[in-house]
Amino acid sequence: MAEETQRPQQSSGPGAGGPRPGGGPGGRSGPGGKRGKRSYVRRKKVCRFCVDKVDLIDYKKADVLGQFIQERGKILPRRMTGTCARHQRWLSVAIKRAQNIALLPFGAEI
Amino acid sequence: MEERLYDLIFICRPDTPEADVDKIISTLEHAAGEKQTKIEKTEKWGRKRMAYRVHKLREGYYVYMSLRTTHGELVKELERRLKVADPVIKYLTVRLDEELKRQAKLKAHRERRAARRPRKAGATGTAPGGSEQAVASS
Repeated sequence: MAEETQRPQQSSGPGAGGPRPGGGPGGRSGPGGKRGKRSYVRRKKVCRFCVDKVDLIDYKKADVLGQFIQERGKILPRRMTGTCARHQRWLSVAIKRAQNIALLPFGAEI
Repeated sequence: MEERLYDLIFICRPDTPEADVDKIISTLEHAAGEKQTKIEKTEKWGRKRMAYRVHKLREGYYVYMSLRTTHGELVKELERRLKVADPVIKYLTVRLDEELKRQAKLKAHRERRAARRPRKAGATGTAPGGSEQAVASS
């Protein structure tokens, strides 16, 4: 019964459409139902930068920034890294600068 | 005009002799000196592996400079010189003074908030909130 209520249409809501990225985060429905095979709620992630009270994300620090991109060079979404919105904005600016100066890759190397 | 802070990074070909790199640096310094610009620091990061191929090269010789100027048009001039220089394969100029201003503002804001809270004896940094909300006499 519960699985009928909030089934998302072909919308671009969080986690809708396509293969779902596992159980809890972002999903409106709780554990149970056909939605997620894993029935746990992932614990809340904290923004790493908020914890360290970072006021400036330096584009020159490729080792820090590299934790927030995929191997192919794509920036990881906030729900994966737990970053807050403000730091995600700064982070993406810094990552793009680093990509421009070849400290981080744009895409997968052949 | 207010003073601006720029970060300038350029990459030379990895097989460039040191003398040529120094020549490029001195050209930039000369151009900067004409416009009363202070070069805060120059760092040679040396040979580094690049994240992708640039001009079919995998490594590059990185040089980083930091400038303070009141003349914004200097950046265009420096980039023109870098574009013309043969060993330079990539460059990037970033304006940083607004970001640093914002950083300083946030830091000051945070420190003011921390100072406003009553501090426990022996503890530094943020005091616990919640039930410790005493009326602070400033």
